[in-house]
Order: sequence, then structure tokens, then C-alpha cells
Amino acid sequence: MTSFTVTTLDLEAGPVVEFAGELDSASAPRALQAVEAISPRPGQQVVLDLTGLLFCDSSGISALIAARNIAHSAEAGLALAGVPRHLARTLVLIGLDTFFTTYATAAQAQAAWPESPAGG
Amino acid sequence: METTFSALLEDSAEDLYENAPCGYLSTLMDGTIAKINATLLGWLGHERAELLGRRRFADLLPVGDRIYHETHFAPMLRMHGEIGGIALELVRADGTRMAVLVSSTVKTSANGTAQLIRTTIFDAGDRRAYEHELLRARQEAEQERDRVQLLASTLQRTLLPPSLPDVPGMDVAAYYHPASADEVGGDFYDLFPLTGDTWAFFLGDVSGKGAEAAVVTSLTRYTLRAAAVQEPGPASVLKRLNTALLKDQHGATPRFCTAIHGLLEPAGDGAKVTLASGGHPPALVIRHNGAAELLDTRGGQLIGALPDARFVEVELRLRPGDTLLLYSDGLTEARTHGRVRYDEEDLRDWADTLDVGSATETVAAVSLLLDSFGDGVDDDTALLALSVRLLGDERP
Amino acid sequence: MDARRRNNVTVIGCEDAPTVLLAHGFGCDQNLWRLVVPDLSKRFRIVLFDHVGSGRSDVAAWSPQRYTTLDGYAEDVLEICAELDLRDVVLVGHSVSAMIAVLAANREPERFAKLVLLTPSPCYLDDGDYRGGFTRADIDELLDSLESNYLGWSAAMAPVIAGNPDRPEVAGELEAAFCRTDPAIARVFARTTFLSDNRADLADVTVRTAVLQCSSDAIAPREVGQFVHDRIEGSVLVTLDAIGHCPQLSAPEQTAAAIAEFAGAR
Repeated sequence: MTSFTVTTLDLEAGPVVEFAGELDSASAPRALQAVEAISPRPGQQVVLDLTGLLFCDSSGISALIAARNIAHSAEAGLALAGVPRHLARTLVLIGLDTFFTTYATAAQAQAAWPESPAGG
Repeated sequence: METTFSALLEDSAEDLYENAPCGYLSTLMDGTIAKINATLLGWLGHERAELLGRRRFADLLPVGDRIYHETHFAPMLRMHGEIGGIALELVRADGTRMAVLVSSTVKTSANGTAQLIRTTIFDAGDRRAYEHELLRARQEAEQERDRVQLLASTLQRTLLPPSLPDVPGMDVAAYYHPASADEVGGDFYDLFPLTGDTWAFFLGDVSGKGAEAAVVTSLTRYTLRAAAVQEPGPASVLKRLNTALLKDQHGATPRFCTAIHGLLEPAGDGAKVTLASGGHPPALVIRHNGAAELLDTRGGQLIGALPDARFVEVELRLRPGDTLLLYSDGLTEARTHGRVRYDEEDLRDWADTLDVGSATETVAAVSLLLDSFGDGVDDDTALLALSVRLLGDERP
Repeated sequence: MDARRRNNVTVIGCEDAPTVLLAHGFGCDQNLWRLVVPDLSKRFRIVLFDHVGSGRSDVAAWSPQRYTTLDGYAEDVLEICAELDLRDVVLVGHSVSAMIAVLAANREPERFAKLVLLTPSPCYLDDGDYRGGFTRADIDELLDSLESNYLGWSAAMAPVIAGNPDRPEVAGELEAAFCRTDPAIARVFARTTFLSDNRADLADVTVRTAVLQCSSDAIAPREVGQFVHDRIEGSVLVTLDAIGHCPQLSAPEQTAAAIAEFAGAR
């Protein structure tokens, strides 16, 4: 059995969504729902914290791209934090290593975001 | 308070037995009824004297349940000393039936000899109605499952070539390992002649599964087939595919694929291969001397997700005895024993130890490798291998 | 082909003694013999097995093509005999396996020394003057009953798997699988069992045969035992003082003695 958990943190510096476990076709819809539920405001940055992600297949990649599309269509930003090595490898393989903005940790992602989240 | 207590005290064991909310029945080991409570007599509509010493428990059952009793219930009770929760029907004196749940235990004497069988019977009218519903739902689900499997296998066949064509001077082999009989997989491959001596091939993997993925697979296959004829090279073919898939997007979740597409031309005693990758795991080349290498196609982006996707083209030469292997990520994402995933480097290292000289042998070896993963392969896996025949090997 | 594994074959008892092959009937597995095995194994070499779809047989080996007739099961019996190189076998078939034994013995009579048909019935359906004991409607009801017990079966298994601390003699690993049958296979087996008509095969039996019946049996009534005895030339008929369809459980000593007496006789 694979398992997947999603935790949404509504931090002062903006929303952080933690994906942990296995992100595949079974869990991808849940991952995406969590991002949609945030309804990011323009100028905000959504951080996907992937530190606990054990596995990510093509459906998972699809969910990450969709998450970015959702954020961008709301004029918000999206960053990946704590990308595990296996996923970093995959992102290189599929030519998306520069497509996503990535940071080592969620805190670094938030610190790097130029706009004030409180303004939105 | 006082009266309640005295009523409780007067609640004799006898009364509890006779008027319990369930039926009680004691029988000899051969099933002959020795004792029965008023509740059960009331349900059955029998007089006590009609049953005691005259009838067996099985006589109260309709014939189907009687057979079940003789072939299952009684043997299991004998062997285990108890049996519980069995759904049966009882036949009332007036011929009507009553759904019940039956539990029995064998009472043994101090020296372990079986003495009698105690049976408790619950009215299960409600539960049986519920079970009938479950049963009907199960039967429908089973029929649905058969139908879905048939549909999936039919659809799958239309997405793969029925057989590979003969390519002069080459050995070609393919393999498809579906992860599930219920769902159409997202993997595809093809090999077909272009103009002159040139052949085109591709292998890819559409994100997701099921009918929606099958639609994308179908679109992808036909776009690649058409574009391969019209476009000058593999990278521009993949660009065409990228545009076609982007136009076909619905909703936020992209439907993309990863693929390797290549052209094969005879050159000297071998063949020249030009191929482009769109985010697909690197192809593997196994040289005649046994050395295996991964073709570096990094930088090629997945197809159908980004408006201006880039694709990377590489060229290589296959000499007699060399094999080019394309595979989908079911292979390199398989869980090997334990939880470790198998990756491209593992595949290359494994291939390095192989002693194979043709596409057919390579595909056979990889399919054995897949078998060894057993349940570890939770995604579909497609394989396509091309090798240049060794000189003097004229087998068709 | 590995019949030993497919049919979960067990061999116990005296190595050099005559071989008694025990074939269980519909509804259970080789554990049904466990109360007669201690007595029989003192004098015979005992071979036990599970029909495909029952007990610990290899369920993957089951196919509707092979097992919708009793011939497929008879074939399995012959394959077990061949693989273990069993000769001069005393084949004991209970319930539906009595007819499976008849089919096997008619196919390869040289393989078998004797047949013991325990509570046999060549045809469960009434047919003209023949009284099998059941009407077609009865059998349909049985098949329905198997359907509706689908959930009951799983419940019935629960205490079995948990073991039975009060009865250590029946607790143990083997019991975990006792009478466990795949419900889907059981439905097909029930249909095969109760709709087969092997009356014509009885006259072809050339192996020495004993018919053991119970004094009262709801599944195989005494007139059916008599019918089998009448049709198999030279057969002996033994009526056990036992009630029900499974005398090896309800009267194990008597049943073991009757099998041993016939099997051991010259």
C-alpha cells in the first residue's frame, strides 16, 4: 500500500503545502485539491514543501505542473522546496529543472519572495 | 427503585431462556432436537411436542440450506467445536421462510466427549435484505469488471502495432507488460517505414491511466505517424506533437507524454540512428562487446505541458551486434525487493553484465528482469529494441 | 506439471504398507479425514490431497474448462498416482469423490486394487423411477444458498482463523485453512457435483468395490447406496450406524474399521 499525506500551513509569509509519501495517480487528485483549496491571492507565493516526498510518478509531475498553472492563473507564484534527490533527477530527465523555482527549504522560499503577503 | 430490583431478582434463568430475544436450540450430536425455547417455537409456529425427539435441526431447513448444512456446517462444527454467523433460512410450520443467522457450539463432557450442540438463532430479516443488496452489487461489479477488462484489452491492442514489420538487416523486438488488467495503460510504441530505406520508431508514456490517457495515447500515436512523414527530423516531429497536445488540453491538469522518436537508416554494415527525446528516460545502447551506455538526451522537455518545449536530438551508429533499447518508466521506476526503486543507472549496470547479441534476446532478458520484480512493477512497461544483425546471420 | 503442489498432497503412515488414497468430497478438504487417519495410518500408507479450489490447493491451477466436469478431477487423481508412482492403490472417495474415483478407476483400472465409495451418489437428481433425492428446483436452491452465504462464509472463517483455545487438538496451522474454499469455485463445484449423472459409469467398474453408506443421510439416501451396489458387479455394501453425510466425522472409528477391513482383505 502506498500512502500520501497533504498538510496545508497558512503561515504569515504565505501558504505552505506539504506533500509527503507517494505522489502518484492515486494521490495526485488530493494533492491538487489542496492547492486549489488555497485559492492564492495575486502577488502571493504558494510553496510546495516536498521534503517528505518518497516517490513521484508522471501523474505526480502532472499535479506539480497543474499546481503551478493554478498559481500562475491567479497571478500568484509557486515554488518547490526541499525537492528530494529522486525528484530532482526526474525534473532534469524531463527538462523541467529550470521550469520550477526551487529552494532548499520552505523558509528560504518565503524569505526569497519579494512581495509582502500581508498586502494581499 | 425497590420494585425494579425485585422484578430483576424474579427474572429467572428459565424465563430468560424461554423468552430471550433470540432462538435457542439444543440437539443431540446427530441433530435430534432435545430442547427449544419459546421464542424459536413462536417463530416457527410449531408445538414443542412436534419437534422434541422427533425432528433434527436440518429438518427445519429448506433443501438448499440442508445440503449446505450437511456438507459445510456440520463438518466444520464437528472439527472446530463451534461455528458462527452462518446465514440460513428456517421453514415455518406454514411453509413460509425466515432468514436467520445461526451460531452453534458443541458442549463436551469433562473427558472431552462431545455431548450436545447448542445453537443460537437470530432473526436476520433486516440483515438479509442488506446482504441481498450487497450480493446484487457484487454481481454487478463482477460483470462490470469483466466488461472493463475486455474493453481495456481491446483498446490496448488498438494502441499498439499488432506486430512489428521486418526491417532489412535488423532484428526488432517489442514487449508490453500491462500493470493492470482493468485499465488501459499509457505506454505506446511503433515502428514503421518512411521513404526509401528510412524507418521511423517511437516509444513513449502518457501521464495517467484509463480512458482519458488512452485518448491522449491515440492522438499522440497518430500525430507522430503523420509528423514523421512530413517533418525533417525527430526534434521537429516532437515539436509538432507538443503543439497538438497543447491544443487538446482540458482543465488545469496537463495531459502530457514523454517519448523518444527516432529515424533509422542503413549505413555501411550497420545503421545510423537519429533520435530525439522529450523528457523520456535515456535510451540504452548495448554494444556487441557487451558494454552498455545510456544515451544522453538531457534537456529534452516533456511533451504537451509547455508552450515552447525544447527537444534534444542525438545521433549514433549501430554496428553489427549492437542493440538499441527504448523502455518506459515502468521499468526504471519499479520497486525492487524492499522499497528501493530501480533507476536508469541500475538498468545500465545490469545490462553491462548481459550477454546478448540481438534485440530479441535483449527483450527476453529484460522481460525476465521485470518478472523478477513481481509486484514491484506498478506501472505499465513497454520495451522496443532494435539491433543490427551480425554478418552471416541471415535469419528472417 | 506438479500435481503434488497443485493438490497439496500429503503422504503419511507405513511406508511399505498398501497405499490408501483418500479423496475428500464437496465442501471441505483433506482435513475431513483427520479423525480416521490415525487408525488407518497404523496399517496403511496414506495419501491425502485437496481438490483444486479447496483447502491449500493451488487456486491458480483452477480453470472452468477443466473443472466443470468430474473428469477434470479424475484426471487430477490419476496425475497424483502417476507422479507419486502409486500402484495397487485402494482409492477411497467420499461424496462426489466417490464418482470421481469411479471415473479414475475406469480410465486406468490397472492402477487400482480396490475402490471404497463412501456415501456415494451417481446422480443427485430424481429421474423417472430413479430417486436421487433432489429435484432440479432443490439444486437451484442450493446454488442460491451458496450465493447468499457468500458473506456468511467469511464470517464463519473468523473463529477458525483465530484458533480455538478450548480445543487444542484442533488448533494449529492446518485448521486455519479447514474447509476454506473460494466461494466462486465452490459455486462451480456445487453445480458440477449436483448436476452430474454418472449412473452409466457404474457398470464399467472392474475394480473390486465396497459401498459404505450411512443409516441416515440427507444427501445420499440408502436407496441410492443400494443402487450403486446393484450396478457395480461383485461390490459389497456396508451400512454404517451413522447419521449424516460425513461418517468419517460422526462415526470415525466405525468408518476407519470398515475401510481398513475391506482394504486389508485379500
